[in-house]
Amino acid sequence: MGMRSYRRPGRQPRDQVSPDSELTAGTGWSVFSYLIAGMLCYGGLGWLIGHFTHIALFFPIGMLIGLAISVGWIIYRYGRPHELGNPPKGDDR
Amino acid sequence: MTRDLAAAAGGCHIFTGCGYPAPGLQDFDFKPVFTIGSWDVTKPELLAVLSGLAVIVFFWVAFAKPKMIPGRTQSLGEMGILAVRDQILRPALGRRGDTYLPFIASLFFYILICNLMELIPVLQFPVMSRIGFVWPLVFMMYGMYWYLGFKAKGFFGYFRSWIPAAPWPILIILVPVEILKYVIVQPFTLGVRLFANMFAGHLLLSIFMVATWYLASLSIGLLYAAGSLFMVFFVFLLELLVDLLQAFIFTTLISTYIADSLEHQH
Repeated sequence: MGMRSYRRPGRQPRDQVSPDSELTAGTGWSVFSYLIAGMLCYGGLGWLIGHFTHIALFFPIGMLIGLAISVGWIIYRYGRPHELGNPPKGDDR
Repeated sequence: MTRDLAAAAGGCHIFTGCGYPAPGLQDFDFKPVFTIGSWDVTKPELLAVLSGLAVIVFFWVAFAKPKMIPGRTQSLGEMGILAVRDQILRPALGRRGDTYLPFIASLFFYILICNLMELIPVLQFPVMSRIGFVWPLVFMMYGMYWYLGFKAKGFFGYFRSWIPAAPWPILIILVPVEILKYVIVQPFTLGVRLFANMFAGHLLLSIFMVATWYLASLSIGLLYAAGSLFMVFFVFLLELLVDLLQAFIFTTLISTYIADSLEHQH
């Protein structure tokens, strides 16, 4: 079957690029997943502590801490474009 | 049920004393079309089967006897397959991804046709707006990319690959977030995104369609009806885009998750 070539000028095929050096289509959704997971994890922990100590404030505090952790991690991992000579230090996805 | 709603709206116009028969959750419940034993077959189930058959028949016709100089159906089929390969698979998986091309292409077109059902007159219901049709797909994908991860990295190796490359004090904070992300958030958002978009789209379309009918009368209502009709066209076009986009996002994410299971080494 006469398939169109994937290789175009100025475009590197994915196989030759190390997985750690580019942001992919899934990165945006991955960032979104981190934001939710962080809030869910530490919000849940806060809720649990609040449930046993009867201090309701632990729940929102936990969520904020979770959000802060997620945002921090997202900036650390994705926030430095490799075009500027800053390869992501964590994994790519 | 849409038919009930149309019947309710039938004699019901503005200024006749009856209120606007607002579409709602009841539009997503269907009476069985027919029954096989104790199994009630409803319209969404029929549409799901119809979508599957449509995909199978189309590609069967397109590629049953492939020719060097493709005919019209074969060209269309090739265009579809190549679009999936170049826009969805290759960016995530590279050339290795071609192994998964038949699977991802079938999935993409199945979801696309299921979604497009909401825009086809008479059928007019997006299958994926019933979450019961979305979860089986999500669980199949979930099982598959876990299996591929185990196969590629071994049982413990796969779980170890979740741990990001970071100093250990940060890991204590991050590992629970990572686990939650992989086990709960990823599959949950995958399913809910598709379901919620289709649900909201169908509701929006029915609201404006029923409103057009409700407002149509020999009064100022006619002007409003025209506005509502314009919205029907607008939302129709919007939904065309959303249907395509949701099928695209679902399959793109599956490809990314598969890539994640296969490489993602630290």
